[in-house]
Amino acid sequence: MDNTLIDVKDLKVHFFTDEGVVRAVDGVDLKLERGRTLSLVGESGCGKSVACRALMQIVRNPGKVVAGEILYNRGAEGGQAEIIDIAKMDPKGKEIRDIRGKEISMIFQEPMTSLSPMYTVGNQIIENILLHTNLTKEQARDLAIKLLDQVGIPRADRLVDEYPFRLSGGMRQRSMIAMALSCNPNLLIADEPTTALDVTTQANILDLMSDLQKSYNMTLLFITHDLGVVAEIADEVAVMYLGKIVEKSDVYTIFNSPRHPYTQALLKSIPKIAIKREDLDPIKGMVPNPFRRPGGCPFHPRCPQAFAECKVLVPTTTQLTPNHSVQCLLYENFANRIATEQKQ
Amino acid sequence: MWKYLLRRTGYMVFTVWVISVISFVVIQLPPGDYVTNLINQMISAGGEALPSDYEMQLREVYGLNDPMYVQYFKWISRIITKGEFGYSLVYKRDAAELITERLPMTFALSFGSFLFVWAVAFPIGVYSAVKKYSLGDYVFTFIGFIGLAVPNFLLALIFLFLSYRYFDQAMIGLFSLEFADAPWSWPKFMDLLKHLWIPVILIGMGGTAGLIRTMRANLLDELNKPYVETARSKGLTELKLLMKYPVRHALNPFVSTIGWTLPGLIGGEVIVSIVLNLPTSGPVLYNALRSQDMYVAAGFILLLSTLTVIGTFVSDILLAVLDPRIRLE
Amino acid sequence: MVQTTPMNKSLAPTPEEHVTESLDLEVASQWKLMWWKFRKHKMAIIGTVIVIIYYTMGMFAEFFAPTHFTTYNEQYVYAPPQTIHLFRDGKLDPYVNGYTFVRDPISFKKTWAVDETVVVPISFLVRSEEYKLWGFIPGSLHLVAADNPRDPFYLLGSDKSGRDVFGRIIYSARVSLTVGLVGVALSLILGIMIGGVSGLIGGWLDNVIQRLIEIIMSIPTLPLWLALAAVVPLDWQPLQVYFMITVILSLVGWTGMARVVRSKFLALREEDFILAATLDGVPRGRMIMRHMVPSFLSHIIASITLSIPGMILGETALSFLGLGLRPPVVSWGVMLQETQKVAVLAISPWLLYPAVAVIIVVLALNFMGDGLRDAADPYQ
Repeated sequence: MDNTLIDVKDLKVHFFTDEGVVRAVDGVDLKLERGRTLSLVGESGCGKSVACRALMQIVRNPGKVVAGEILYNRGAEGGQAEIIDIAKMDPKGKEIRDIRGKEISMIFQEPMTSLSPMYTVGNQIIENILLHTNLTKEQARDLAIKLLDQVGIPRADRLVDEYPFRLSGGMRQRSMIAMALSCNPNLLIADEPTTALDVTTQANILDLMSDLQKSYNMTLLFITHDLGVVAEIADEVAVMYLGKIVEKSDVYTIFNSPRHPYTQALLKSIPKIAIKREDLDPIKGMVPNPFRRPGGCPFHPRCPQAFAECKVLVPTTTQLTPNHSVQCLLYENFANRIATEQKQ
Repeated sequence: MWKYLLRRTGYMVFTVWVISVISFVVIQLPPGDYVTNLINQMISAGGEALPSDYEMQLREVYGLNDPMYVQYFKWISRIITKGEFGYSLVYKRDAAELITERLPMTFALSFGSFLFVWAVAFPIGVYSAVKKYSLGDYVFTFIGFIGLAVPNFLLALIFLFLSYRYFDQAMIGLFSLEFADAPWSWPKFMDLLKHLWIPVILIGMGGTAGLIRTMRANLLDELNKPYVETARSKGLTELKLLMKYPVRHALNPFVSTIGWTLPGLIGGEVIVSIVLNLPTSGPVLYNALRSQDMYVAAGFILLLSTLTVIGTFVSDILLAVLDPRIRLE
Repeated sequence: MVQTTPMNKSLAPTPEEHVTESLDLEVASQWKLMWWKFRKHKMAIIGTVIVIIYYTMGMFAEFFAPTHFTTYNEQYVYAPPQTIHLFRDGKLDPYVNGYTFVRDPISFKKTWAVDETVVVPISFLVRSEEYKLWGFIPGSLHLVAADNPRDPFYLLGSDKSGRDVFGRIIYSARVSLTVGLVGVALSLILGIMIGGVSGLIGGWLDNVIQRLIEIIMSIPTLPLWLALAAVVPLDWQPLQVYFMITVILSLVGWTGMARVVRSKFLALREEDFILAATLDGVPRGRMIMRHMVPSFLSHIIASITLSIPGMILGETALSFLGLGLRPPVVSWGVMLQETQKVAVLAISPWLLYPAVAVIIVVLALNFMGDGLRDAADPYQ
């Protein structure tokens, strides 16, 4: 039985600026399985945030979904499949607005600024409930208190009337989670939800999220640049570089036998307590200017294993095992491609 | 909240005190004092030469031989306790009478202009920010620049010329002829409203232009804040989202602009009234200054400034009501 | 496919070349970056050009004005504007039309009207009325003047004494524009000193200065200006009055500047490079001049440009009300005094041309200032 919740095919999101077109997401394929956690990993600016915003059609101006499909099966698990393409929807239309906050919801990186300081926490949670359910205001308020309690906020019945700026960062992120869960979504997108928090709070929030994921049986798309967090929460991992998914597999394979030089480099750059500082191996160079992307494989200027063809040929996806794919010429049989592409 | 209000009240009282000192200095600035002016006037009115000790006596009577701080204290306490602002040599009347006659009109005009400025600048500012770089935005930006560059007395002049040339003369002024000296009544009030809009627009033009720019900039800032994205991810419609979050947030800095638009509006009221010769404090202040009738001038400056200070205080209170961050401080 | 990086081009650069290329972008000096950014604002460029033209004309008013601002012709009182005709009988021979009397149908007063049959020959770059440039360089060259100095030549009409409005507007530019400059210079000195002290020393002093600024800002500017200007003695020399007016304008105007300077100092105190310099033991004076001032100089320039219009408008308003500069000094405000009488204005609307001059230069300065302010932060 097909257990796919969302199937992203060749998604492209481009930003049309005065200086030129930025291809923030440039042909991404992803499959989100029901009840599983996929972690999207990459450096800042690689397009991971844009890609996940495209799933809800909330990409900021001047960004636009220009190509690809986001096939979302909104039918109940195990029931009749009811597949719709989110990529085709009008970002301001009613169709997508009914999905947002109800079937797909999202929590953001900055708990300090993601909640408006003008309204109470309760107000902002209840808003979401009233928007998508037929509950009365009182019922919505009770639900909000219940949710706040569930995400571990003490004295939820009083904090519901508190303003966000009077809460700590961790409390705010918990409130955000309560808000995101308020309509029992199929998919929760978390865009670096722990980055702005201190380490102990990070751990608590991560624990909370995996607990809730199990009890709500929802799919979690977790975006981060922190491989430590990935190891803790992910079932599957997709590594993103300059708008492309360069490697994709389950979490054990990625950590134990990474194939793409970029994934390997990322893993080597994590500080470990056992290793001396000098042995730490940062990736050389910087993420290129978005207007001057290198040709060929986008990673080649920084790649320790690059060879002549990397400057010319854009790697395609190579399936190493049924659940491990990589975009790198090291694993691709590209001999016949050179001939055809040189001709063009 | 209470601490905040207390502090703001303290500032207000202190500010009014400093303004009263400045106004008092204004009285002292011209060469000669009240008695010299009085005697000059008597002589020019054809009076005979006065006995030499008469001047000394008069000085003693008016307390002009006292040290400065005593004179200031007497002046300000007379204003506070009895509402006496001194005597106008030019109008030969109590300055207080002149002030109570003219100030309400100034208040009406300034308040009207203020409402006009807000009512126009707010929606246009929102529109310009939301439809950034649209044709409408460019048009309003351009009009805004013109409004900023054309001072209101020039606007009043141009209007005066146009109305003299092409329109009905009766449009100038605050009342129709039959109501000008009539006692207050409902028809007179309606007549005032009919005339008020012209000076209100002339006075409010510059402030409107400035405020549109402020509102647009504020809102553009707010539109990119993460909480807007949160609200969008809930599935709110764009309009609801805009009104509940960014517009509501941009309202706070907008409210605090009362503080800096009011001095401009009152200054504009003064000069537009001078040009159009409206029965407000402008022309009286102007004449008082030109003929160095300093008690009247100082009284007006003190009260006009106090008016703006009170306006700022009101905006501070409003801000506390609107913004929980200040209220709960 | 959108080809931002064409295939064939990508064959060339090696990783090393990429690094040098991006370095190039980073070493462009701050001023260069600002210029690049400023250049993109078309309105700012147009504004700058207009401002330069204004200041040039004001500077060389003797050359640009056909006659001196005191030159009068009692015969041609309130004469309407003429238009320059470049060609006569198909030949390049510039002229304007003379005047004839008409009776105003309403007031029955005699007024002048342009008479198409009368020809007043004019010439460009011609020696005419003698002058002393800036009071000491003798000359007689004019951009344009009537061939016979007694002939009426009023491009923008004449005033109550038969003086040329066009020429007087140009001479006024010298006065009105420098009032702006001097006033801004004075408020800049006050603003930098007071704002600098406030931002650098901070503490209770900062608090006191901030309260003071708030108080000054809450007083309606115009009544205060009027009050201060009204007490300038009537028997003062024009130069004294001129200086007094600029002092009055800047006494109120320094507050905005002080706020800008203070906020910049406050922000800079938190910057890492200032901390680094402090830890390196850089002396305070050197720190301010070498590290802090350059980093907010651009903001100061932008604020200056944006506060000149206020000064110009202030002087115009004061002089218009008869409380600022006084004849025989000529400024736009002094010229506009004549329009206070509606009856005069109604028959000679060209007396409002000085207002047009004011509006254009204020607009231009605003556009220029806006562009500068945007460019002041080239890294944004």
